[in-house]
Amino acid sequence: MDQLAIASTDRPLVKHFRAVVAVAGISLEVSPGTVFGLVGPDGAGKSTLIRMLATVLAPDSGDALIFGNSLVRDTEEVSARMGYMPQRFSMYPDLTITENVNFFARLRGVKKAERKERSAKLLEQMGLTPFAKRFAARLSGGMKQKLMLASVLMHEPDLLLLDEPTTGVDPVSRREFWEVIARLRADGKTIVVATPYMDEAERCDQLAFIDAGRITRQGTPAEIKAMVEGTLLSVLTTDPHETATVLRDARIAGVSSGHIFGDEVRILAKDSALAGERVREALHQAGIPYELNAINMDMESAFAVLAETAPVQEAADA
Amino acid sequence: MLNRILAITGKEFLHLWRDPRMLAAVLLMPVLMLLLFAYAISFDIRNVPTGIVDMDNTPTSREYAQAFDASDLFNVSYRADTISGVDAVIDEGRVSIVLVIPKGFGKDLLAGLTAEVGVYVDGSEPNSGRVSRAAALALTTQYNRELAVRWADLNGVDISAVGGLEPLMRTWYNPELKSSDYLIPGLLVVIMMIVTVQQTSVSLVRERAQGTQDQITVSATRPTELLLGKLLPWSILALTEVGIITLVSKWLFNIPLRGNLFAFALGTFIFVVCGLALGMLISSFCNTLESANMMAIVVAFLPSFLLSGFVFALEQLPEWIQWLSCALPVRFMVELTRDVFLKGAGFAEVLPEMSFMLIFAVLAITLAAHFYRRRLR
Repeated sequence: MDQLAIASTDRPLVKHFRAVVAVAGISLEVSPGTVFGLVGPDGAGKSTLIRMLATVLAPDSGDALIFGNSLVRDTEEVSARMGYMPQRFSMYPDLTITENVNFFARLRGVKKAERKERSAKLLEQMGLTPFAKRFAARLSGGMKQKLMLASVLMHEPDLLLLDEPTTGVDPVSRREFWEVIARLRADGKTIVVATPYMDEAERCDQLAFIDAGRITRQGTPAEIKAMVEGTLLSVLTTDPHETATVLRDARIAGVSSGHIFGDEVRILAKDSALAGERVREALHQAGIPYELNAINMDMESAFAVLAETAPVQEAADA
Repeated sequence: MLNRILAITGKEFLHLWRDPRMLAAVLLMPVLMLLLFAYAISFDIRNVPTGIVDMDNTPTSREYAQAFDASDLFNVSYRADTISGVDAVIDEGRVSIVLVIPKGFGKDLLAGLTAEVGVYVDGSEPNSGRVSRAAALALTTQYNRELAVRWADLNGVDISAVGGLEPLMRTWYNPELKSSDYLIPGLLVVIMMIVTVQQTSVSLVRERAQGTQDQITVSATRPTELLLGKLLPWSILALTEVGIITLVSKWLFNIPLRGNLFAFALGTFIFVVCGLALGMLISSFCNTLESANMMAIVVAFLPSFLLSGFVFALEQLPEWIQWLSCALPVRFMVELTRDVFLKGAGFAEVLPEMSFMLIFAVLAITLAAHFYRRRLR
């Protein structure tokens, strides 16, 4: 394989905001042509990490190599091959789609003829062509995100840094957005994306769990799910909160975690047969109707479990 | 580099066209300010309610009083032949100046002796008091007789303290009432200062609030490029504004332009860049649109009025204030404008002022770029 899209140095990235540690020391390795997902609770440092990689924020210490260029020293070379899409909509509300796209491309030094050709192509791909003359302020959430992505793609970057690009976007637009990401990946682009959605995390090639400014776990979605030991039991019920309380009070041995997902309570058990028995007893006693199933581990549950278990060994390497 | 600057300039122009109401406000505001300030200030010295106590009541004294009556400055609304009611009318605020012609005034004058008149000024309104006082003196001088004026003031204004302003007042409110010649050129400068600082003070703050600052940063645009790109369209606009208010003041107030027009134009260009750069500087370290606005008002208004020599002649102020005034471009521009308009100056005469303003502009842009960069990281 060629050079890494993002390579670590012996100095991990660190960023403080006054007394608060946002990124406590992170080294990333991202292969070109992959989708790399960053997941973790709010305030874990995902945005700060992305902003540092985007050269918007200077690290307090540490460095990383972006296509072999130092993030800290070769800022101009790094930013030329990189596109950054912040979490918040950040285009001029009083300019039209075309004007916004054109302006940022011009700043990036894209020639006029290329600007014309690429913006036509990108707006078409994003389904924005009919709205090209609409002011950015008057776009829906999904269209705003597509406009940002189109704008970020104008200088044909090889590395895309996307910070929660689909937050607050309707499900249909979200799916369309990920179709675009899949297409970009197929074109050989490298994508680093922070996401709060576990179904999106599942679509990544590699995932990093970030907690308190460090990467606590890293691997493919399958590997991440495999890190959670035990069997997942689903208790479907009409009153999940009451059920969760009952199960917690029962203090069932071997059950390490319980979470509410909609109207089901999921618990993680070392021995599913034994735990299942105890669950039935407890709920029967409390008089709660339920339906109990053993289910496959999914990203959502894995995330919930991993987020609350103390980071093990991996934290030390990170 | 140039390409990026032009890209930003183009974008700024788009913002302007997008908001025609703002554009209109930006162009009309200086005119409005000019009219308001000019009339407000000249109204001060017109129709001052005046009382005349003619205790002499001779043809000579009546002739002298007539000079006041005929003047635009004084509106004689109280007449008496005894001094007993004077305290009351001043206290009630019915008049703010009273001219007292003592008995024997006419006789003394006709006999070739020095006659005395008394002028009572209401000191509670120091400005119009001072003005009327100066004007009364001027009229008396014009009356062209040997008169000694004995001043008296009520309500405790210390005439010796304000006396230092007298030469200035006399120039402003000369008998022909051509105060505007002196006033308007300075006013143009003050207005431009206020307008330019305000125009850019929110510029960078808005980029930050909209998040567009990050997008500009990732494109590896340097802060100086961003600042220059933003300064260009606004300075064109500001020059247009200066053109408009200069024409308006020439037409309305008949201001002479005796010097080199190009020297004025070049000076103006440097000056508006100073103002805009000062606005950028404010913008580079303020957090919110509100704080930037407030800061712009404080920075633009106070020093422009107090430290520019527009209202108070700088030579009359304490030395440290004179030094302080050198920290801002506005005093140099006021000098330059008066020199060009009134004294007929050309490039050579205003070179020092221009150089200073140029230094200020470069310094302000550099500092703004520095603060902007530091906030980013």
